[in-house]
Amino acid sequence: MGGQLRMSRSIRQSTRFPIGEIVGVIAVGLSGLLFAQLDMPLLQSLMAQALILSFLAFGIGYLIRMTGWVSFGHAGPFGLGAYGVALAFSGPGPAPEVMLLLIIPGVTLLYFLVGLVVSRLEGIGFAMLTLALGQGLFVAATKFRAVTGGSDGIAVSLPRRLFGLTTDLLQQPHGMLVFALSFLLIVYVFLRLFERSHLGRLTVAIRENEERARFLGYRTRALRAAVYGISCGIASIGGVLFGLYQGFVSPDVLTWGMSGSGLIMAILGGSSFLWGPIVGAIVFFFTREWLTENTDHWLAILGIALIVIMVLWPKGLSGGVERLLARLRTGSGPVPVELRRKAA
Amino acid sequence: MLTNTLNGLVYGSLLFVLSSGLVLVYGLRRVVNFSHGALYMLGAYIGYSIALRYGFTAGVLAGGLALGLVGIILDLVVFRNLSDRNPLVTVIVTFGVFLVLEDIVKSVWGTQNYTLDPPAALSGVVEIGGNPFPAYRLFIIGASFIMAMILAIWLKFGRTGLFVRAASFDPSVAAMCGVRTDLLGPAVVGLGAAFAGFSGIIAAPFLSLHPAMGSEILVLSFIVSVIGGLGSFGGAFLSAMLLGQIQAFGTVYMPELAALLPYLLMSLILVWRPQGLSGRAA
Amino acid sequence: MTALLQCRNISKSYGGVHALQGVDLKIEPGRVHGLIGPNGAGKSTFIDVVSGRTRGSGTVILGDVDISSLPPDKRRRLGLSRSFQRTSIFPAMTVRSQLELAATWVDDDNTADLVDMFSLHAVLDEHAEEISYGQQRLVDLALALVGMPRVLLLDEPAAGLSAGDSHSLTDHLLEIARRWNVAVLLVEHDMDVIFKVCNVLTVLETGRLLIEGPPDAVRSDPKVIQAYFGSTA
Repeated sequence: MGGQLRMSRSIRQSTRFPIGEIVGVIAVGLSGLLFAQLDMPLLQSLMAQALILSFLAFGIGYLIRMTGWVSFGHAGPFGLGAYGVALAFSGPGPAPEVMLLLIIPGVTLLYFLVGLVVSRLEGIGFAMLTLALGQGLFVAATKFRAVTGGSDGIAVSLPRRLFGLTTDLLQQPHGMLVFALSFLLIVYVFLRLFERSHLGRLTVAIRENEERARFLGYRTRALRAAVYGISCGIASIGGVLFGLYQGFVSPDVLTWGMSGSGLIMAILGGSSFLWGPIVGAIVFFFTREWLTENTDHWLAILGIALIVIMVLWPKGLSGGVERLLARLRTGSGPVPVELRRKAA
Repeated sequence: MLTNTLNGLVYGSLLFVLSSGLVLVYGLRRVVNFSHGALYMLGAYIGYSIALRYGFTAGVLAGGLALGLVGIILDLVVFRNLSDRNPLVTVIVTFGVFLVLEDIVKSVWGTQNYTLDPPAALSGVVEIGGNPFPAYRLFIIGASFIMAMILAIWLKFGRTGLFVRAASFDPSVAAMCGVRTDLLGPAVVGLGAAFAGFSGIIAAPFLSLHPAMGSEILVLSFIVSVIGGLGSFGGAFLSAMLLGQIQAFGTVYMPELAALLPYLLMSLILVWRPQGLSGRAA
Repeated sequence: MTALLQCRNISKSYGGVHALQGVDLKIEPGRVHGLIGPNGAGKSTFIDVVSGRTRGSGTVILGDVDISSLPPDKRRRLGLSRSFQRTSIFPAMTVRSQLELAATWVDDDNTADLVDMFSLHAVLDEHAEEISYGQQRLVDLALALVGMPRVLLLDEPAAGLSAGDSHSLTDHLLEIARRWNVAVLLVEHDMDVIFKVCNVLTVLETGRLLIEGPPDAVRSDPKVIQAYFGSTA
């Protein structure tokens, strides 16, 4: 009778305990807290906005990393999060806290269902479809004035208290900075845990050879749809924070310029590391702030930057870091490369 | 009723000519050109400027030919060099090209709307079924029909057309049979771009010119392609006609919802048949 | 002994081309059933339809369950497994992790036995794209065997293997069928492998079942010779 692969247990030991990453997460969290104590409201506000946008990039980048799919319409879930917040506080109906808690799972579920339908398309068809869906939401937001206020948008009337706590910190730079950063780190940790779980590894395997995964007994479409749903849920968190911080939501949040910017941030950051898109978003945001002050040809520069990055450094910033780390490792590693090569 | 159908034909034929440019490029290069809408827009603006000075015919020619040139450059510089990479890389690059072109249009022509009057010969009105119908719109239908015919005949009977169809099935085998795939690329992409340019300038007297026209039409042509099935001319024709009719009747009977109808249709078709009307099943 | 896998009236057409027309086949546990025929006879198509990769018509019954309309993943979970003519593995994953991936849901984790059988110890922690072609074919086969499937459909497992590797492959196949009581369907062009290993042969020609019987009877049947060589001379 078959025996157990004893080594399979030893695998869990050989996956290194990520000391470096844990230290990194704690370090980032602490520096954020420290930064928030300083008296630099302008810089803090910019950073808060950058972090909010990074959720958009994070969602896009996560999808690319896990499935290889590219979404050109991620402003959709982002915008849904923002409008969700606005409507939670303005419309009649259940308490704002209840509505708030429902937005992100709601968006995730919605896009999971979309993903089930859409996962039958190949990569390019998927990309086109996401663009069209994103644009559809934009058109809907402009048309349904009664609900969304049309092109004029809606104000977000933040209640004084939420979940028993005062909310004025949410609209202050240092407050939102800490809030956004905390959420970002929490999401990051969760996604990392998922990646290292069986389901996470299965998702990556599906990316490599979906057919064989199916013939090994796995329902691949549902998993891909789930990852798509999660990536949209991540974007919607950013949308919620956006609505809370800006205090105002308009269809600008759903334009394909927004989707395009998110894509550029994700590509700039690269998906070699999970945190790549976040760094890309921050770099992009500050570069854009600087550029829009100095030139009108913001769009052309963006386009050229995108072209150059895709051609020369498709793996983005995190790819560069990956290469650097690899070089450092082989440079100082004890085992010479030749010995590791097997005789064919 | 008849007027609406005719208006639908106008929209539909414009959409078809534009989308066939997308299909051409996809068929050969297996890439969706995300800058296609910008090509349409650029053709309209270039044609507009030339038409103001040298007349409408010159404008049409300029719009089409200039964009044909842009298409050739696009193929030589972008598509050919990236053909060994993941197609999504090329797609993202074309998105970058779109942004650059949109910026060029805004810089050269500004952000205001422009209108172009149809040429005197076609600016009249024709009696159809007891109702007046602008003659220029009939011209749009006619011109699109002619372009579609030329394309169909070229693909079906022309030698180069045969090569295009062969190369879109299997580029390496086609190359081994002596098809000059390196010449074919620029020719096909150039033609696709020229079609985009032509439809842009021809549409100009019908729809006005504004910097957002590129992205609007791009999404519509995507919807046409997705509904029709990527890579299928027949599918593009059917869905373009269908969308045209929906647009025409929708703006009359359901003005609030009309803009959303294409998206609804696309969602329904995808749930029912993800490969589109005429696409090959996954 | 009752057949474990019963395929009835399996047909598949591509437009006007009839790749398969009404093929019946039964496979019994512990036996190796060979499926042979000239090129274009429909052998791979048969496996594709029975495994659920392609939609065809006809009935497929596994044990006492009709699996004809089930997707491939459900068929696998019920015990119908297959290998692939063109090696289909996970290139960037290590051998170990893909075997583990295949074993996650199984009741009977036989991965250690498979590693022993195919001598994959040395390459367990190599990325699959870095090992030799022969070893990749073995990984492809091993993936199909994780969890002790009841039925195994093999699509030209010896394709591209050296003589020595083919030789050990036949030994493995015999062992799998007899020791593990698996019902094996073997599509092969390599006649050495076929005649060494198979208990019964089915011959297909242009989509139809030509003859079925024990190997010696089949190889000397005039219809078969005609199909392969074009004449009985």
